[in-house]
Amino acid sequence: MSFLPLLLTGGGAIAVLGSWALYMGSVPSGRVPPRPVGHIIAQAVGMALAITGMAQVVTTPTLPIGLPSAALAGPALTMGGLFLFLLTQRKTPLGKLRVAVGDPMLPFSATTRDGEAFHSDQLRGQRVLFKFFRGHW
Amino acid sequence: MNDQLAAHGVRIVALSKDTVEQVRYHYDRDRLDALLLSDADLTVIRQYGVEHHKAMEFSIGRFQLFGVPLALVPTVKTMAIPTTLLLDEHGVVQWIDQADDYRLRSDVDRVLQAVCDVFGPPAR
Repeated sequence: MSFLPLLLTGGGAIAVLGSWALYMGSVPSGRVPPRPVGHIIAQAVGMALAITGMAQVVTTPTLPIGLPSAALAGPALTMGGLFLFLLTQRKTPLGKLRVAVGDPMLPFSATTRDGEAFHSDQLRGQRVLFKFFRGHW
Repeated sequence: MNDQLAAHGVRIVALSKDTVEQVRYHYDRDRLDALLLSDADLTVIRQYGVEHHKAMEFSIGRFQLFGVPLALVPTVKTMAIPTTLLLDEHGVVQWIDQADDYRLRSDVDRVLQAVCDVFGPPAR
């Protein structure tokens, strides 16, 4: 009984999920790599290993090897595909910002984390780093 | 960076489309030293022209078992384009940074350099 399919799909899962873990670990500190070439390679290699392993399972199917191989190939292929797809969606449209350097800020109202009304007048007299961010996603 | 900004008398105000509950959760989880604001109906985001119509968002949706999430469902949502404005004491925009890649935040060194360029060296 050959363990090669298990090794291939296992290696694929490790490559894909390891890359995910390293990438997500860089998010909180804001140190995400601008060009994640290493991650792209790891994801692609991981998916290729998973596909190769599953091809081996299909050509010489054995249940004790096939089932765990499929269990490893599934996450490798889905998470790898998701990672690569998300990278294709990373570009955001720009060019419609309604203030420029030298303009006064636009007065606005919002809500604080305590549910209280907030108005930009409360920032009068203060130096402010005003950040728009995506929030929960 | 907060300490360095405080040395220049700069306060951080961060706004997103999060609901008040999500803002509170974010603040409690990350213990942020910033004023977090909720703009759940995107009024301010649209007012400033930083709306991203086709941003990808992931939610648990109906795929959960006894409260345990089983899958993430991707949906297209509207949210803010990551944008940073540096405002002086008079409320005038002195510096703008906007990312064309939603993964990348404003580089810390670039922000601090901008603060120094605009406001001079930190007060001792």
